[in-house]
Parts: sequence; structure tokens; C-alpha cells
Amino acid sequence: MQVSVLVVSLVLMIAVAAAFWRAVLHSAADEAQPRPSGHVEGYRTGLFWALVVLGAVAAVATLRPWPYDASASEGAIVVTATGSQWSWEIAPQQVPVGRPVVFKVTSNDVNHGFGVYDPDGVMLFQTQAMPGYVNQVRYTFAKPGKYRVLCMEYCGLVHHDMIEEIEVR
Amino acid sequence: MANVSALVDRSTAVGAKPALTAVKLSMGLGGLALVLLMLLGLCMRLAQGGLLSMEPELFYEIMTAHGAGMVGIAALTGAGIMWFFLARHVQLTAAVYWLMLCCFLLGVALVLGAIFVGRFAGAWTFLYPLPAHSGGVWETGAAAVFLAGLLSIGTAFLLFYLETGRAIIARYGNLSQALAWPLLLRGSQDDAPPPAVVASAAVIVFNGIGIVVGAAVLAISLINLYAPSFTIDPLLAKNMIYFFGHVFINATIYMAVIAVYEIIPEYTGRPWKTSRTFAAAWSAIMLMVLAVYPHHLLQDTVMPGWALAIGQVVSYAAGLPVIVVTAFSLLVYLTRSGMRWDLASALLVTGVFGWTAGVMPAIVDAVIVVNRVMHNTLWVPGHFHFYLLIGEMAMAFGFMAWLTRADVPEGLPGASYWGFLAYLIGGTGVAVTFLIGGAMSVPRRWAVHVPEWFMQDRAAAFFALISIIGTIVLLGRYLARLAAAAKA
Repeated sequence: MQVSVLVVSLVLMIAVAAAFWRAVLHSAADEAQPRPSGHVEGYRTGLFWALVVLGAVAAVATLRPWPYDASASEGAIVVTATGSQWSWEIAPQQVPVGRPVVFKVTSNDVNHGFGVYDPDGVMLFQTQAMPGYVNQVRYTFAKPGKYRVLCMEYCGLVHHDMIEEIEVR
Repeated sequence: MANVSALVDRSTAVGAKPALTAVKLSMGLGGLALVLLMLLGLCMRLAQGGLLSMEPELFYEIMTAHGAGMVGIAALTGAGIMWFFLARHVQLTAAVYWLMLCCFLLGVALVLGAIFVGRFAGAWTFLYPLPAHSGGVWETGAAAVFLAGLLSIGTAFLLFYLETGRAIIARYGNLSQALAWPLLLRGSQDDAPPPAVVASAAVIVFNGIGIVVGAAVLAISLINLYAPSFTIDPLLAKNMIYFFGHVFINATIYMAVIAVYEIIPEYTGRPWKTSRTFAAAWSAIMLMVLAVYPHHLLQDTVMPGWALAIGQVVSYAAGLPVIVVTAFSLLVYLTRSGMRWDLASALLVTGVFGWTAGVMPAIVDAVIVVNRVMHNTLWVPGHFHFYLLIGEMAMAFGFMAWLTRADVPEGLPGASYWGFLAYLIGGTGVAVTFLIGGAMSVPRRWAVHVPEWFMQDRAAAFFALISIIGTIVLLGRYLARLAAAAKA
């Protein structure tokens, strides 16, 4: 997903740059057409509604199903994870491949971030580890291997070394 | 060098210009601080790229200073722009700006002291309860001084907004008039306010609220340091902190864009008018900036679902005014206008580009399913470095170039051209390398990187150096021309 997100963003940014560049190139006075076309407000209205429709479609497409459904379905494994300055306690640290795993994440002290990375170093999902609260996220690992948990929320001096492993079999 | 002395006279000739010296000083201080903070940023990227040996403790101190400092600079330069142009339309009290500046500088001194003497390294977001839980790295007093410094800076801006709000209401009667609501709702308004007033009124409302919430959570955090039994629910604190932070940093660009509304018409010959569309956009922004902050909390699953949905949906909606109103209008005004290009106009137009383009990765990241894999990666600084370097600070430098423009058209001669190009290319490179890092899943705010991440760190350092060179050229031109005008 990350590469797609980068490509989409860069394309959009380049499109904006192209629009600005076009306007700059056409900024010289033109005696034959001293004013912008009278249809300008129509174009603005059209752009507005096009973006509204696009946004509505994107919202429905990305919010259904509701992305936060972390309820423990039948057969799900529950893993508890607690962050402390500066280590993770994760139990169990071995989970099966192909079965839903519900991570229940909290903290003993400050905010941490529970980010799970695959063996290639790509983030699969994350959630916040908060004192006094338990955040839940559900994930099904598709491949066996050693996955790493990295801290994603700045938590002090050893934030960058707050790393743990989860084995998926 | 072209005659620059006349510009000072000209800039004070139109309407009242209280605290012009303070505004020019603010912009200069902002530029100087920017260079220093950019150097800190360069050091961070060099350290992450394995090219500079740096203890993690120092890295996180520098990170805290860089973040707090950049937010402060963006706010100061944005406020300077807002004050300058608002003074064309309402009667402002110069002493209040000076008081604001004093409180701001006091806050800066406290923040820097807390970090580099007290070793405070809690990041500019001071996320509760981290200031009180250093793990033995900083003392309670250091955290207290840092929080007090932010409170002083917040007080500075609250004074600023109270004075500008007072002046606007004194002139227009009430905020609804200042926001052009009669025009919006009835289609016409006697004495409709200009864009600078509409924008200022909206910012006063939303940033005033943001600062009050920020002050509350700062005060609570401060008391908690010395009375640990005095606590706040950490989720509530997180909401307050991100509400304040989001609103405050957004306000910087909503203030800076006033320079575009006021200056670009001088170049195009086409006035920027308060239309119904303009009034609608600013009223919508006033509400959406407040409502959108949950996009910083999308990984807190304990938040109410409706709040998280609002975070995603309103993030998209909040991009519409900048795209459909400000950017679209600018491009229309530019087209076949006979636009006169110089450093000021080039930077101001770049600023709107930077804002519009920088919004794209932000909107994308606010989609919840995307945020799950991009939140707190380098993607986040990618978005806001584009938005602030190529957006807000470009507008600020554009204003500074306009303040020190020659009294004859001078185009983009030599050093100005290369400085502008270096700033644009360097800043874009800094931001895009962050975005690439985010796509590589590199976490943000890590002092130590693994070798697999080095390439984008080192590329970022290269672009940072280019952008620093560009910044020095732009700032140097500003300071040299101020000095020349002072001597004349």
C-alpha cells in the first residue's frame, strides 16, 4: 500500500505543480483577451462538485467496512502487549499464520506506539499504547516468519531501541 | 543596488502602520532563527544517515528545539504579516505587538534554556505524561521551564489575537460583519470587509480557542510535575494537545496567506475581492480547522468512532477551500494579467503552490486505512515540511522581499534568482525525501536509523544543505536592504 500511496500523492502534487506552471506561463498580458473567460465561476463550481463527489466515493469506499472492527471473532488469538520505558511485554510472542489475532495494547507509563513490521521491514499495522487505556487492532498474518514490533510514538531516550519480536508459525 | 530607501516611506504611507519596526524585526528574527533551526535539522538527518556521530540524548534535544522553534517561527512570521496588513484597515495599538514580541522572546529563552541547559527532550508536543517521565534524562525543573516557555509564547499570541480582535470589532461592529456573513447570507453587505479582515477574523476565532485549550493542558501538565496526584485523563490530554497543536500550526499559514491577498493584486492589477465564495470558504475553514484535529488520533482506537470518521472526512473537506478558492482564484488572477515577476511575487505564488501541494499527502494520510501504515512514519514530517517550507515560509519570504522591494521593477536578478531556486528545490527535496522515507515505513523521531534507511536520510541532508543556502541568500537580501534603507 505504501508505494501506491506515495505514487498517488506525488501524482497529485505534480498535477498541482502543472496547474501553477501553466498559469505562470500564461501570465503575460494578452490584448486580445485581457480578462479571464466569463466561465471561470462555472469552472470553479464544477471543480468543487467534482471534488465533493470524489470525496464522497472515497469516504464510502474506505470507511465501509468500518476499519476499526477489532472484535475477537471465533478462533481468534488474543495477544496482550504492554509498553514501558523502554521495552515491550508481549504475550504470547508466537501466533499462528492464517488466524485472526487481536492485539490488546496498553502502556505502563507514557504513550508508546505499537507498530508491527514484516520481515522485509514494511509496516503492516499499528496502534497507540496508552496508559490507562487498551487499544485493540485485529490482524491476520498471511506468511510465517519473524515480525518486529517498533515503537512509533516518541517516548524518550531509548524510543528508537524499543523493539521486540513476534514469531508467526 | 536599486534605491530601497523609498520603499520604507511608501510602506508607511498607506494607512496607519503601527509597529512597522517590530514587524520588520519579527521577520528578520524569524529568518535568522530559521537558518539556525535548519542547521539543526540538517544535523538530525546527517545523524540518522550515519554521517554524523551524535548521542541519542543530544539528538532528541535538538529534535525538541527544532520542532518548537519552527512552530514558533511560523507563528511569528504569520502574525507579522497579519498585523502589517490588518493595520491598513483597522486601528491597531503598536504597544501590544511589542508586548507580544517580548512575551514570545521570553518564551523562546525559557524553551531553549530548558532544552540545552536542563536537557529537556520531550518533543514540542509535550505529550502527557512524558514531561514528568523522562526516565532519568531531565529534571522536573527542566520540564517545568519548557512548559512555562510554551505558556509564555501562547500568552504572547493570545494578546495578539485579543488586540486584533478588539480592533476589528471596533471597526466593523462585530465578528459576523468582519466575517462577511451578511454578504454570505443575504448576498450583499455595506462596507464589506476586505480579504485580510475576513481571514484575520477567522484566525482570531479558531486560534484563540486553540490557544486557550493549549494553555489549559500546559498548565495541567505543569502542576502535575510538582503534584503527581493532580492528573488528567491521558486520552483527554492527548485530545487537548493535538487540538491545540493542529490549530496553532494551521493558523500560521492562514495568517501568512493574507500577504498573497494583499500583495498579488499590486502585480496583477486585479483586486482580490471578498466574494460570497470567499466568505463561505473562510467561515467553513474556521469550523473545519477546529473539527479536523482527530486525524492526529486515528490510531487511538478507544476514541469514539464518530470522532475518527470526522477526522478522515473533514481532512478531505478542509482541503477544498485552499484548492477551489485560494489556489483557483490565484491562478485565475495570474492568467493573462501582465504579471510582473520579481522575487516577491515568485515567492508568494510559490507559497500558495506549496500549501496546495502539501495538502495532498496530508489528505491521503488522513484516510484511516492509509494512516494505519503511515502514521508516525516520516510521511508525517514530509507533509508538514512541504506545507511549511514551500508554503508558509515562502509566503513569509515573499512578504519580506516585498517589504524591501526597489522602487523600480527589478525582476529576478542573479542572486535572487539562484537563491529562490535553491530554496524551492532544496525545500521540495527535503519534503519529498521524507515522503519516500514514510513510504519505506521509516518511523519518525528515531535518533538511530538502520543502514537500509540511510539513502533517503543522506539525500535529505543534501537537499537540506541546498535549502539552507537558498534561505541564507533570501535572508541576506532582506537584511542588507533593511540596512541600506536605514542608512539612507
